[in-house]
Amino acid sequence: MITIRTIAYKNLLRKKTRTILTVVGIALSAWVLSSLFGFNRGYESALNKDIDNMGFQIMVTAKGCPYEAATLMLKGGTGLRYMNEDIMKDVLKHQEVKQITPMLMQAVFDPNKGESGGMSAYLGVDPTTIASMKGFLEFKQGAWFTNPEGLEVVMGYEAAELEQREAGDLLLVTPQPGKSVELKVVGILKRTGTQDDGTIFIPLKTLQRLFNNTGKITSIGVKVQKEADIAAFEEKLYQLPDVQVVSLVQVKRTIISLVATARVMVLSIAVIAILIAMIGVINTILMSVYERYQEIGIIKSMGAMPGDVFRLVWIETMILCLVGGVIGNAAAVALAQATDVLIKRLLPYTPTGSIVQIDATLFAVTTAIIVGVGILSGLYPAWKASRVRPLEAIRGEVS
Amino acid sequence: MKTILVFLLMIFGSHSAYAAVGCDLNDPDRDVKRLFPGSTGYKTQYVSIDKKGGAALLARIEQRLGDKFQGLFETIDVPYTVYEVYRGTQRIGYIHGVNQKGKFGGIQVFLSLDLNGVIRAFYFQKLTSREAAKLRAKQFGDQFIGLSLKEFASYDVAAGTGAGRIAAIANPAPGADTDFRASLRAVKKNLILMDEFVFSAR
Repeated sequence: MITIRTIAYKNLLRKKTRTILTVVGIALSAWVLSSLFGFNRGYESALNKDIDNMGFQIMVTAKGCPYEAATLMLKGGTGLRYMNEDIMKDVLKHQEVKQITPMLMQAVFDPNKGESGGMSAYLGVDPTTIASMKGFLEFKQGAWFTNPEGLEVVMGYEAAELEQREAGDLLLVTPQPGKSVELKVVGILKRTGTQDDGTIFIPLKTLQRLFNNTGKITSIGVKVQKEADIAAFEEKLYQLPDVQVVSLVQVKRTIISLVATARVMVLSIAVIAILIAMIGVINTILMSVYERYQEIGIIKSMGAMPGDVFRLVWIETMILCLVGGVIGNAAAVALAQATDVLIKRLLPYTPTGSIVQIDATLFAVTTAIIVGVGILSGLYPAWKASRVRPLEAIRGEVS
Repeated sequence: MKTILVFLLMIFGSHSAYAAVGCDLNDPDRDVKRLFPGSTGYKTQYVSIDKKGGAALLARIEQRLGDKFQGLFETIDVPYTVYEVYRGTQRIGYIHGVNQKGKFGGIQVFLSLDLNGVIRAFYFQKLTSREAAKLRAKQFGDQFIGLSLKEFASYDVAAGTGAGRIAAIANPAPGADTDFRASLRAVKKNLILMDEFVFSAR
């Protein structure tokens, strides 16, 4: 039995090129919308993950430029200034502190990296606290240090891959020209998708000794008690001489506000894309209604009610939007990784991990939005078609 | 409807995996010109044993090398970058690099080859060794010029011995014998891979 849906479907197939072009337009809008929503969700969750994976909420560094301090935390850059280890006692006095871990970042020019050399960076960590602070780290081979002052090294997966190291191998560190030291690789970490993948961890005391920086650190990671007021605690830490306090909440807020501007722009583009698609749909359906003016008149003269004609045209619109929406969303999911790479190239800072996350819910929501827009777009052409007067239409008089 | 469901399941069921790290030139624009003077451009091709022939190809490469692929990182899915070098529109050769485990760190050995697979230049992009300067010296690299897989077929990776011109390759740093042998293994592996990926296929 022929239903209104079948007729609507067949009508769309009568002008295949036009239907395909309209679907492509809708699909593009759905793609932009889905990718934008996916970015909205993915960026914040990747940033949160990066921050959670650091294992601490506050970082205390020597006084300097706060942006450089943020880079030090998020990109694992080199330390700008050193602090005395004694400062740890002052930090520990505060009741808000759950645990602290001192760190020393050292970078050295390595003449054997590439044609003209390059920098090698090492992170000195406290073997007694790092394991509990970064409890999410798992080992591919080996384990943490066996000796807090030993000539040992733990490597992130990518650092180990670059150096082709495995547990038990040796790694040559050259703190000063002509003075190289052999360290034993005791552990290779599993991939984390964070900066730890590229980090070479050395026991703090060992790194201090190798680089003649005994008693010096570049930062202290502070894990605060759950109920602590982080903002108030930051103020207290600022009372310490010559330190700078960088809260990850603060860093997150700054980054999110920087990215918000870009997001508003992209959102505007998405809205424009949807409007263009909406106009395209109205245009396509209206043209189709005008082309079938006489046909609609005949259908009505045969007993079709205005509601039937309205539904017929409306269903055509919905089919177009549903197909376009599904194709566009599927493209967004399939190309999410490519979008991810593109956005990462465009933005000055992006967290590690996937920043465009499109799941089934988002797929459904975006498709629903596109179909909703389609339903609205179809109202006028459907109303126009339902108002066709049979006699005038059959005579070929288009009002 | 069933097709749509399968399609959606395929899309959401897939998950990203981390690929193994290959061996690319740090600055291809600069390095290609240096390794191939007179070249005007290059094209990049990414090949892996996994995609090219899978386990059977790996077994053949290991058999030709006379050694197994080892450890965490010498795996079947490592992507290899082959630079096809051009002068104008004419292809004049190839550049290809491999990672190799050294005594104290990763070694990256690049070879530039003519269209017949004969070595034109040898280049350590990365080498961590106390004797790095001696191994990086021009005299060491020059010993490989003019050699091809034909000569390297005689090199026994396990014993570190070869015949003819291979036997004549001198180690400039006796204190870094492990890295010297690792370099020769890297060259042989590099030539075998190029033969499998490019020359035999051609």
